Amino acid sequence: MKKLMLVLFASVTMAANLSAQNFFTRDGKIKFDATAANSPEKIEALSKTATCVLKTTDGAMQWAVLFKSFTFEKTLMGEHFNENYVESSKYPKATFTGKITNLQEVNLTKDGTYNAVVTGKMSVHGVTKDVTTNGAITVGGGMIKINAGFTLNLADYNIDIPSLVSDKVAHDVKILIDAPLKPMN
Amino acid sequence: MKKILIALVVLAAVGAGVGYYLWNKPALDLTNAKSDIVVDATALFNEYKTDEAQANSKYFEKVIGVSGKVQEVLNDEGTVKVSLETGDPNGFVVRCELSKTSAHARTEFPVGETVAFKGTCSGFNLDVVLNNCVEAKK
Repeated sequence: MKKLMLVLFASVTMAANLSAQNFFTRDGKIKFDATAANSPEKIEALSKTATCVLKTTDGAMQWAVLFKSFTFEKTLMGEHFNENYVESSKYPKATFTGKITNLQEVNLTKDGTYNAVVTGKMSVHGVTKDVTTNGAITVGGGMIKINAGFTLNLADYNIDIPSLVSDKVAHDVKILIDAPLKPMN
Repeated sequence: MKKILIALVVLAAVGAGVGYYLWNKPALDLTNAKSDIVVDATALFNEYKTDEAQANSKYFEKVIGVSGKVQEVLNDEGTVKVSLETGDPNGFVVRCELSKTSAHARTEFPVGETVAFKGTCSGFNLDVVLNNCVEAKK
């Protein structure tokens, strides 16, 4: 009887470990490239502190990145980005709340690489828009890795490009996402 | 006529100089900066968790002196990120990203040690994030 109890207990705890429901990262990398086709200098920046919470049971996810956490090659570019473009003192972060819509093709509890379709609401600069994008989800080694790339149209989010720099700053900004998620306690 | 020309040349040179300086403006270095506010990691985190907008109006973009116990240190492709404990039941932290341009006496911090950093507050994304951090001198 005691043995049976032990076995039962062990299998229950093992199952609990395997099916951690929430995965999380605070080390998500978000890179954007806003270099216009003919711009002499590169306009790009990287944040390494984006957060993402992913619920494996229903594929719901929540992202947040702080504009002030982006680093640019040129200090002045970062200042312009924060003060004139995204107005980070009014809108300090970009967020995305959505879910994986093809969860029947993405097994978050089985090792492998899956093509995921994600739909949800993106909020940037006080504007919230419905977006859908594709990404690669790699499950392995107890982790879930998310990689995605998409473009974001600045006008959609009421971000104006002054005419003086309109030949340097792209109207469609390329975004790259790389996030290693671990089970959350 | 000549005077006007000389004045124009001087103006252009000054303009170019200012432009050059701004373009190559050095990154923020907080080594000798004075903190606007000194707070411990738990209090800072709790203020953000309770009322993010209120906390942002107090801390955002300011130079914050924060102290707390090291929970985790990560060297992420050359970027050192130190998580300070907040006592939050979900394990959220105050995240200090060390400046890549300032000089650091050390970039390794033992877990459990109480350390103090100065950094600019970037806001709240489940964690409170400070950028441009340098260790505060004791």
